[in-house]
Amino acid sequence: MTVNSRPITVSVKPYARLIDVLRNELDLTGTKEGCGVGECGACTVIIDDRNVNSCLVLAASMEGKEIITIEGLADEEKLHPLQDAFIKHNAVQCGFCTPGLLLSAKSLLDKNSKPTRDEIKVAISGNMCRCTGYEQVIDAIEEVGSKAKNDI
Amino acid sequence: MIMYNYLRPDTIEEACQLLAQSKGKILAGGTDLMVQIRAQEEKLQDLKCVLDINQLKELNYIKKEDDHIYIGGLTTHHELQESELIQREAFFLSQAASTVGSPQIRNRGTLGGSICNASPAADLIPPLIALNADIKLRSIRGERKLPLISIFTKPYCTNIESDEILVEISFKILSETTKTAFIKLGRRKALAIARMNIAVALGIGDDGCIEEARIAPGSVFPTPDRVKVAEKILLNKKPTSELIAQASKLVSEEMINRTGIRWSTEYKRPVIETLANRALKQAWGVE
Repeated sequence: MTVNSRPITVSVKPYARLIDVLRNELDLTGTKEGCGVGECGACTVIIDDRNVNSCLVLAASMEGKEIITIEGLADEEKLHPLQDAFIKHNAVQCGFCTPGLLLSAKSLLDKNSKPTRDEIKVAISGNMCRCTGYEQVIDAIEEVGSKAKNDI
Repeated sequence: MIMYNYLRPDTIEEACQLLAQSKGKILAGGTDLMVQIRAQEEKLQDLKCVLDINQLKELNYIKKEDDHIYIGGLTTHHELQESELIQREAFFLSQAASTVGSPQIRNRGTLGGSICNASPAADLIPPLIALNADIKLRSIRGERKLPLISIFTKPYCTNIESDEILVEISFKILSETTKTAFIKLGRRKALAIARMNIAVALGIGDDGCIEEARIAPGSVFPTPDRVKVAEKILLNKKPTSELIAQASKLVSEEMINRTGIRWSTEYKRPVIETLANRALKQAWGVE
């Protein structure tokens, strides 16, 4: 599989979840486990351009897939516009939901570069945040959207 | 923790063979099965292996042929929601798909998986029941096609054989004059299991009379069904608020006929009546 644009080959147990392999075999601990049952979105990653809960995906089924985790969002030292906006708008408090939120936001903007607030709310409806109350998150994503030219 | 093996067939035929030999469980999107495995549900205690069929592209399609629509079992909720064909010909099915889970769940969860899981609160099932949908099951013994409504035996149970794969769902397209509506009642706007839901279709002829009426509620019967007694009083009459109110009352009465008075009846009776009322008015075109 490809993870953050790097080809990876790894042996996995047949029942290992993608989140387990990302965190334990590949040391990509940015992806968090909040519930393990697909209800909080903290484990969100992007697989072949679709955001999914990595706690519900078997690693073995990822052969040939392209996976993006939060570690793949920034370009070396240069933060992704979404990351800049989250900081600017105080959309990060404890930070536990943030990786998943950013990837759901990226997923949205990749398909709809200028979303409305309602569209943003639907796009992040699978990512629970206990700290912010979501307004700052929506503001951040809306701002990045408003600045979008052709692609992000 | 349940430790099981992983098999990934390359074709449907191979999947059927492996399923018959291995007595494993089919894994599609995983949004139900993975949760059940984690919860160590009793029915999965002896799970030996999963058969990952998610990559079988030949089971992922939405197409129209003559006056029928055919949907492959691996079509995801997201694909159903976004399909222009489904939005045009069976809008309440695309609406229902959009209410399930979250974007992450909709990107993985499949139509076949939802049907086989047979939750009484499933959102895709009421529209399909209203559409009189059929399903196609395949195994090493061949293929069989049967009405969707006939597979449900009790909540979370179907009579699908353990070596069968749900490969296709199909239904006859509703007439041009028929409009559909779907309402889901949940504790929140996303990531909510339906407390109750309802799918309706209403077709009004040139003479202004109702010529088509289908009402399929969810989470009110032990197995999904249409409410024929409510549909009947609507047919061949002009739609009015009173008539719709009458039909809606029959829906709640039918719920009590079939399930008796329970702790939840005091809540469910007026609410399913109201959901039916709103859905029928939406389909009628009166908001």
